[in-house]
Amino acid sequence: MQTADRVGTTLTSSDPDTPLWRASQVFRLVTLVYAVGYQVATVDNYTNPRLSWMLVASMAVWSGASALMLARASLPRWQVVLADQIIVVALMASTRLVADYDWYSTRQTLPTTLWATNAVISAAILLGPKGGIASGVAMSVVSALVRDRFDSDLWSDATAPVLLSAGLALGMASNTARRAHEELRRAARSAAITEERERLARQVHDGVLQVLALVRRRGLEIGGPAAELAELAGEQEVALRVLISEQAAPRGDHTDSIVDVRALLRTQAGTSVAVSTPADPVLVDSDVADELAAVVATALSNVELHAGADAKAYVLLEDVDGELIVSIRDDGHGIPAGRLAAAEAEGRMGVSKSILGRVESLGGTAILDTEEGEGTEWEIRIPRTKGLR
Amino acid sequence: MGDPHSSNEGTSMTEDTNADIAVMVVDDHPMWRDGVARDLEAAGFRVVATADGVAAAGRRARATTPDVVLMDMHLPDGNGADATVAVLEASPQTKILVLSASAERNDVLDAIKAGATGYLVKSASAEELFDAVRATSAGQAVFTPGLAGLVLGEFRRMSSSPQPESDTRPTLTDRETEVLRLVAKGLSAKQIATRLTLSHRTVENHVQATLRKLQLANRVELTRYVIEKGL
Repeated sequence: MQTADRVGTTLTSSDPDTPLWRASQVFRLVTLVYAVGYQVATVDNYTNPRLSWMLVASMAVWSGASALMLARASLPRWQVVLADQIIVVALMASTRLVADYDWYSTRQTLPTTLWATNAVISAAILLGPKGGIASGVAMSVVSALVRDRFDSDLWSDATAPVLLSAGLALGMASNTARRAHEELRRAARSAAITEERERLARQVHDGVLQVLALVRRRGLEIGGPAAELAELAGEQEVALRVLISEQAAPRGDHTDSIVDVRALLRTQAGTSVAVSTPADPVLVDSDVADELAAVVATALSNVELHAGADAKAYVLLEDVDGELIVSIRDDGHGIPAGRLAAAEAEGRMGVSKSILGRVESLGGTAILDTEEGEGTEWEIRIPRTKGLR
Repeated sequence: MGDPHSSNEGTSMTEDTNADIAVMVVDDHPMWRDGVARDLEAAGFRVVATADGVAAAGRRARATTPDVVLMDMHLPDGNGADATVAVLEASPQTKILVLSASAERNDVLDAIKAGATGYLVKSASAEELFDAVRATSAGQAVFTPGLAGLVLGEFRRMSSSPQPESDTRPTLTDRETEVLRLVAKGLSAKQIATRLTLSHRTVENHVQATLRKLQLANRVELTRYVIEKGL
């Protein structure tokens, strides 16, 4: 499965969240610029300007470092995100060291200001909406505690709603991105698998099946113990044909077990087998389709065994008034009148039995029409009630 | 029905008849096109034109009014159905024989609905091709079992789809359906005649009738579509 693997790895190597992480680094930079601007504008009012500048510097350093670590993935992302939470909380708490109560109780936390949102965003991208909201709640609580805003007018403060909605929105975006990526990956993979199967089916069809058919024919000609080998080769040929036709038919996903029976029958066409179908899909439950394909394969293998080397076979699929009709006709030797009864008496009716058994299990009928020199013709009718739609 | 099993009679005449038949070959593949043209000429047919696409086919059909056009399904500027329409517009008396490498699918059916009267796979032998060209020229329908299966399916689709207002769409008679089923099962016109105790000619007529009805049904559907859309 070369193709499948190649598609699989190229897609998984690009992380679905990568664009979100990149966007979040842009946001981090913008909020850092805002925080520095805020610092410059208001530093004169602080009790400890020197410490506040050091804290701003550490905030800038962490912004750069976290951006690098998230981009290179040198550390697991959860560690970076956890550190982000801790550092933001610590910086918010430092507000009380650099300003007096009158200042910080009515304004934003220092030196973080809007930059505090980054902790919520990284948690949301990593963990989805739940993680985003949890971090949003934590940051809001810390912010309110630090500024002692719980008893005063909490509702006039926009911090908590902004943090919570950022966490929710980014979390949902991250989940959507992951889901879309997963779906894309699955679709590409299934397309690659289908393509590969079709290629295999073609090759098997051209190679292995031909050889099996040859072994069977020559084995029968030689006779004796070789005829037993021929029989075995014949059985495997039928099994393989059915397997290929199953694979070649488009299956849809797992819940959808309706298939187009035309596709299964067409794979059995060849130089001496013509398959005729309607132009529109003939949709059938997949197990019914498999049984039908097996019946046709069995009948065709019988044609090849007994109808003579030059015999041609014709398969006709019809979809009429509540039933499916499949006819398998050959223009070979046919079976002389007494032979069929004689074969039955000797218990050598394996093929007919297997066809009849399968058709009966589908609630249908199978009629064999033959005459010496006139070829043989199976007409199989399956009612469109059981398992057919 | 111009199938290869049944038309071996009158071999001494073929040279004369072939010379009376003007053929145009439409195919975008130069090697195939020239090869077929050469084979036809060697067999005594008059190849009056070749074309590599829909537009060229229409133009040259107008200029040369061939008796038979050998039509490929895949052309650079359209498909065989488009080219069939173009040729029949330019030269209504011309008969179209579709020659396709692909298995019988919807596109072949479209060409038949558009007015082609025969279909042959490209893997057919040269003799089969000559027989088919002669049959097509004589106004016979050239069927493969696969085409018969498609036509059968098409009539059944039409009869099972809901009928608005008055039923103007043509349907097959029981006998026509019976004949078509036997064609789809690979029987030659002769074998069908024997099995149904009909004359060879009657079988041919039934087969031709199915194609005429399909083309008529197609026009009825088209007209209804045009009326419904208010075009």
